[in-house]
Amino acid sequence: MAKELIMTGCRAAAEGAKAAEVEVICSFPIRPYTAIMMELAKMVADGELNAEFIHGEGEHAQLSVVLGAAASGARAYTGSSGVGVTYAMEIYSPMAGGRYPAQMAIADRTLDPPGDFGSEHTDAMCTRDQGWLLGWADSPQEVYDNTLINYRVGEDHRVMLPQMVCQEGYFVSHIPDKVILGDQSQVKKFLPPYRPIGPLSTTKPVSHGPQIRPDQGAPMDAMRAAVFLDVPKVIEEATADFNRIFGRNYDPFVDQYKLADAEIAFFVMGAHANTCRKAVDRLRKQGVKAGMARLRWVRPWPTHQLANALGHVKAIGVVETSTSYGGAMRGGNLIHELRASLYDLDQRPLVTSFMAGLGGETIWPADFDYMAKVLTEMVKEKKTKRYVYWIGM
Amino acid sequence: MAKELPGYGTINVPKERQVPFGAVTKAPVCTQQLFITSNWRVVRPVKDDEKCTRCLICYMSCPDACWIFKEEEDVMEWVSDFCKGCQICINECPSDALTAVPELDFPDGVVRLDKPF
Repeated sequence: MAKELIMTGCRAAAEGAKAAEVEVICSFPIRPYTAIMMELAKMVADGELNAEFIHGEGEHAQLSVVLGAAASGARAYTGSSGVGVTYAMEIYSPMAGGRYPAQMAIADRTLDPPGDFGSEHTDAMCTRDQGWLLGWADSPQEVYDNTLINYRVGEDHRVMLPQMVCQEGYFVSHIPDKVILGDQSQVKKFLPPYRPIGPLSTTKPVSHGPQIRPDQGAPMDAMRAAVFLDVPKVIEEATADFNRIFGRNYDPFVDQYKLADAEIAFFVMGAHANTCRKAVDRLRKQGVKAGMARLRWVRPWPTHQLANALGHVKAIGVVETSTSYGGAMRGGNLIHELRASLYDLDQRPLVTSFMAGLGGETIWPADFDYMAKVLTEMVKEKKTKRYVYWIGM
Repeated sequence: MAKELPGYGTINVPKERQVPFGAVTKAPVCTQQLFITSNWRVVRPVKDDEKCTRCLICYMSCPDACWIFKEEEDVMEWVSDFCKGCQICINECPSDALTAVPELDFPDGVVRLDKPF
């Protein structure tokens, strides 16, 4: 029986891993994601989950352990936050290039210095070009759901890639919300067992992670890039199956809120979307035709889906919760790719960005009102005056 | 939307240039000829069979499994295709049976190869 409980994002991630019947878990503490491992350790100790629970000596070791586990045919699970995510940086590319579909849960956190522990997307966004699947949830429910969807997509033989399932630290990871946990029969129907390709074996010996020659490098990169051409189709199939089996209503790539007739739109990622929806409702009452698009996958980036969803809007405000110091727009990361996605449209929307929610700050309803004011002025004047606005500065 | 946007095209890697899935290859039980790494080497260990006691410390200390004990012939065999010349075995050998000899001293030394492999 599916059951409805109140739980944090961390617990929801652990429940997702338990439902997926992960076989190897590797932990190392760093807040705020630690609570995921605490929940899993308890599940293993209580005999609710039959998994090998390994305590790594650092994040680099964590990723190495799950790489080995996935290479030997186990469904593997790990996670981290903030500087822990970046400490494991070396392993991300070999893990994707070696096609090991393990999963990493991220409860995001700012990078140092000076050791702020608030939520920020910068940590996992640093890894976005290493060949992993990557996306943010907006609620504990979506964390649970994404855990299952990501295993299904990542382990599909057309994909075979590791996945980063992200949630905002504290905003999602530590604030309880209603979560419907699926029945195990639903999970079984949705998520087939992990079938590795060429696993490590004593009876059929194989070499993993060998040296290749420079002339093998270009075809290897091309083949890794080619996989991402097939991923969107697999995501669409998996999301449709998930919606059908679990009774949800996810758009595979872009969560759209009152966008159809919108003149201005917020482009957001993660739980700030919850405040944004309320802001859109209030702005609508004041006669402002506002809407919201929430990105569900950063990798693969849904170029055409975004152009379709946002092409008719007059001005878009990208709410950035990650930094790209010295980048093209001198703000965050998302605006670069959103602008690129819209470039080939005949009528391009005006696009600016708002640096908000950095260092774990809340993005308040009043902040969205201010952003709406900037966007409305842009529409009136028919031009983008600034690439970036720093909220609250 | 009226206008059709550009697509991503297709990526076709010619068959002869394709790399195996995840670079996973069959491993022959002894050596993996597809990925030879010996061209990193500047020196190679040369052994003196008179001094060698077959204690297998070179076998245990080699990070690349480049020493094999041939039981029937009662001799240690060096795997030239994968030895990177790190000299750990030379350092660890308790009976001083191993010496580091520059690759240039050998007519087939890896530094003399026109092609790396």
